[in-house]
Amino acid sequence: MTTTTTTAPVPGPGPGPGTATQSARIEVRDLTKRFGDFTAVDHLSFTVEPGRITGFLGPNGAGKTTTLRMLLGLIKPTAGTATIGGRRYHDIEKPMSVVGSALEATNFHPGRTGRDHLRVLADTAGVSTQRVDEMLELVGIPAAARKRAGGYSMGMRQRLGLAAAMLGDPQVLILDEPANGLDPEGIRWLRGFLRHLAGQGKTILISSHMLQEVEQTVDDVVIITNGQLVRQGAMSDLHGAPRALVRTSDPAALAGALRVSDITSSDVSSSDDGSGALMADTSDLRLIGDVALRAGLPIYELHGIQNDLEQLFFQLTENTNRNLGQPAAGQQEAQA
Amino acid sequence: MTAAIRAEFRKFFTTRLWWGMALAVFVLGIALAVLFGFLLTQPPSPSAQGRGVPTGTPEQIANSVYTGGLSVGYLLTLVIGVMQIGSEYRHKTISGTFLGTPKRAVVMGAKVVTLLVLGALYGLLSLIGSVAAGAIVLNARGFDPFPTSGVFRTLALALLVLGLWALIGLGAGILIPNQVAALLIAVGVAWIVEPLIVFGLGYWEWGREHIAPYLPTSATNAMVNGVSQGGANAVQPLTWWGGAIVLTLYAAVLAGVGSWRTVRADIS
Repeated sequence: MTTTTTTAPVPGPGPGPGTATQSARIEVRDLTKRFGDFTAVDHLSFTVEPGRITGFLGPNGAGKTTTLRMLLGLIKPTAGTATIGGRRYHDIEKPMSVVGSALEATNFHPGRTGRDHLRVLADTAGVSTQRVDEMLELVGIPAAARKRAGGYSMGMRQRLGLAAAMLGDPQVLILDEPANGLDPEGIRWLRGFLRHLAGQGKTILISSHMLQEVEQTVDDVVIITNGQLVRQGAMSDLHGAPRALVRTSDPAALAGALRVSDITSSDVSSSDDGSGALMADTSDLRLIGDVALRAGLPIYELHGIQNDLEQLFFQLTENTNRNLGQPAAGQQEAQA
Repeated sequence: MTAAIRAEFRKFFTTRLWWGMALAVFVLGIALAVLFGFLLTQPPSPSAQGRGVPTGTPEQIANSVYTGGLSVGYLLTLVIGVMQIGSEYRHKTISGTFLGTPKRAVVMGAKVVTLLVLGALYGLLSLIGSVAAGAIVLNARGFDPFPTSGVFRTLALALLVLGLWALIGLGAGILIPNQVAALLIAVGVAWIVEPLIVFGLGYWEWGREHIAPYLPTSATNAMVNGVSQGGANAVQPLTWWGGAIVLTLYAAVLAGVGSWRTVRADIS
């Protein structure tokens, strides 16, 4: 899992021995936080691997930000542990050179310029003003950062937050809703940026309340709702097995022909259109076409199908979102 | 610690607050020195003293002239103290601060050091104006601008006074979570409520002797040893070092309790 960053185009401030080349896994174990009677995070466990972009997903109020803040030592857990490279944030010697984080896009004094904001952080991190200007260049706001932050757009704030996170050339990046407020061009830029960093072996954790927003960006997902883990795994697993929809005149005949070629399928014909439809359990469209040709059946439509992620995300988190009020009494019984 | 202190200074000097405050402190130092220089050098009449007109030795008069600007200046450093922590909570920059320095006691220590230095810097600025202008006025009125070495002790203590009030502000800024409320309450108490209490205590002998001298503003006045109110109900001030100890205790307790809370609290 160890990766070297010798070809990094973003030069660090001279990494100390073992800091920049060392891979760091994020581990959350049985993490729990109660505020009075309210359990914001409930025995949450997951890991985030180096070299991959992990999406930390859940509806608003699921406990994402509380979890990230516990990971970063800003909130004290009621129980459980959250470590980065085996250490609690509090115990990391020079934290900004190990972990870069951007929590909220609003954490700026409106009367201070973005550049000065970074210089304040640079003082703490022990990095130079030159590094500040390099980071501003990197996120594409070198000129605007000399204006006071009060007038910044959401996109500017996101980029400034990202520049702040990158100041210490950290091995681990933790970003809370980094795509929030970015325009499509900005999201595409962010995606390329994070992809590049993950390629250097960095550990990247980004939270989002929208799966679609990050579905093309992340490799792994951790989905939580009501402070509990719902699902953890690779993004590709979420999509499920690839399938293909094929429309033809005689679905039963085509299903039989496909079975001969070891492809299972199910009839999804609807009564109101004249032709029948099959859902075949393969992504090989050419094979389906060849089979249909040999069987002498016409093809009216043929395309690959992936799981509807929006639908899936909703299914995983629906009816359990505590912020939408209590479900109706009947629903509650049905769930129990 | 040095990195945290450097960051605290950078925070202070990268917003517009500092030069507005600097201008105010400097101008007030000059203006009040000139005003007191004329008022306090009027020949006192015994009947006026009985009515409570302030009187003092030449040393006390010089002290009052030079530190006249501080009577407003300490309110300004009080505000600086509130802002140095209050604006961090208000604009949520406190998260970034603690992410950079997770050992929060170090951050609070850096804020204390920074505020003491800032208090001294603003004090210096005020005194440059007030001593220059005040000495000219006193000279013109036939008074010795530097009658005793006690004047220099007062000038030195004035620098400490402003730093200590900044620490009181730091404590208030933490203990009162809303920054605007913290500013209003801190300044209101120091500027209006406390003088009213001292005035009221003047009519109660025990309170006048055992409470009034120990209030922060009274302790501040004792430290700089200026002219004091005449009359039967006047509060007898503490010695200069007694005042210094009392004011230091206020600053230590408020900044200490505030820091203790900040170190333990969740930042969300």
